[in-house]
Amino acid sequence: MNDMRVTERTVTDKEIKMKARKVQVFYGDNHAIKDVDVDIEDKTVTAFIGPSGCGKSTFLRCLNRMNDTIDICRVEGDIQLDGEDIYDPKVDPVQLRAKVGMVFQKPNPFPKSIYDNVAYGPRIHGLARSKSELDEIVEKSLRRAAIWDEVKDRLDAPGTGLSGGQQQRLCIARAVATSPEVLLMDEPCSALDPIATAQVEELIDELRERFSVVIVTHSMQQAARVSQKTAFFHLGNLVEFGETSKIFTNPDDPRTESYITGRIG
Amino acid sequence: MPHSEHIVSGFDRDLEGIQAQIMRMGGLVEEAIAKATEALETRDLELARAVRAGDKAIDALDEQVNDEAARVIAQRQPIASDLRTVLTVFRISTNLERIGDYAKNIAKRTETIIDQPPVNGTGASLRRMARQVELMLKDALDAYIQRNADLAADVRARDRDVDQMYSALFREYLTFMLEDPRNITTCMHLHFMAKNIERMGDHVTSIAEQVIYLVTGDMPDDDRPKEDSTPHDAGLKG
Repeated sequence: MNDMRVTERTVTDKEIKMKARKVQVFYGDNHAIKDVDVDIEDKTVTAFIGPSGCGKSTFLRCLNRMNDTIDICRVEGDIQLDGEDIYDPKVDPVQLRAKVGMVFQKPNPFPKSIYDNVAYGPRIHGLARSKSELDEIVEKSLRRAAIWDEVKDRLDAPGTGLSGGQQQRLCIARAVATSPEVLLMDEPCSALDPIATAQVEELIDELRERFSVVIVTHSMQQAARVSQKTAFFHLGNLVEFGETSKIFTNPDDPRTESYITGRIG
Repeated sequence: MPHSEHIVSGFDRDLEGIQAQIMRMGGLVEEAIAKATEALETRDLELARAVRAGDKAIDALDEQVNDEAARVIAQRQPIASDLRTVLTVFRISTNLERIGDYAKNIAKRTETIIDQPPVNGTGASLRRMARQVELMLKDALDAYIQRNADLAADVRARDRDVDQMYSALFREYLTFMLEDPRNITTCMHLHFMAKNIERMGDHVTSIAEQVIYLVTGDMPDDDRPKEDSTPHDAGLKG
């Protein structure tokens, strides 16, 4: 484990966007995340994998303080974005979430028009000074989410009227509209068919040119396809973290091997 | 790890099935090596013909292994040690098939020279050399089934002896041909047989390297000592 980190440091030339050290998460008495250290690189897709209940989603939610909304949840340790502590009392979680956006498992468009779904974030964060600037942000975001051509003639139609795959890409457009630096995705394709999944994966690859993507997925093949770094969580511990190509051809830890190859571990 | 079972038991059955085919192929190939050189030494035409005919079964198994392995990739998407198992199955099967071809070629040449007088004990030398390769193959396949990288490394090192035997035979045939031109036809055939056995050794070495990759995840990267000096042997000077 430690040896691996050393080699990683020597092969990587990307900047560290988010850095987590000795992170602990408690749900009441339940110690859900134990001593997790992770570096999220800039312009890289990092996949979190592990069996249900291993803590990967919990940890993901720490990265933009989504756990703040759960009363019994307590987060300890240090998580930094560009060297600044995101749990510092001076940090406004709403501002933080504009920088560290999130896409959820089930597409959850607002019950508003397609246009307003995307315009919502830029409006509340005051990112557009005029209607034409807002139009521009909406178009750019929908294009980045690879859904513009499908919706450009019906921007006033309700977002909830789109197909599942389109709704998910609309949610991604909504997330990228605030120009985030990190995008967190919690099983973004689990409710999608293979075509919509392929579209979202293609999109993730394009988004990587602009920012970091952290994706939680239950599909080993998806993690292998879309990510450059993979972290394997088990029982609240980060068991192995390294190059995706290494993890999926020759993992170091027998627990990783057992899990990814579908053996009883 | 490799010894614990998949949750989907069909995956285990698939992998075991392919590996059983590899072992069957290995058995047939070992037999072909032994019989081809026995036929040569004892001038047994029937045995030589049996070796030639037997190669069809080896080729058929190779095809089956490739089809099965392709199906496993399509259906199971193997990763990590499972992926390495499937990748090595492809390569080992190809290596075995090629060794079978060399045995078949020895049998063919045996049929050609069967009426020629034997050249001074070289049949026995070829048989010894083939025996060495056959034992290496047996150990390489044992190393494969036991996932034993040390045994595989040992097999890899032993190819050196085969190379030495080949170099010695090369010079011997050269001498016989110089002594009496009537030996040339037979010695040319014998030399190709020796070269065939030397190439078999290289394929066995390749199998041993696949075993090391299968177990460790890395191909051995050190240079293997080679003892085949014949590329530099000018022979007929002056």
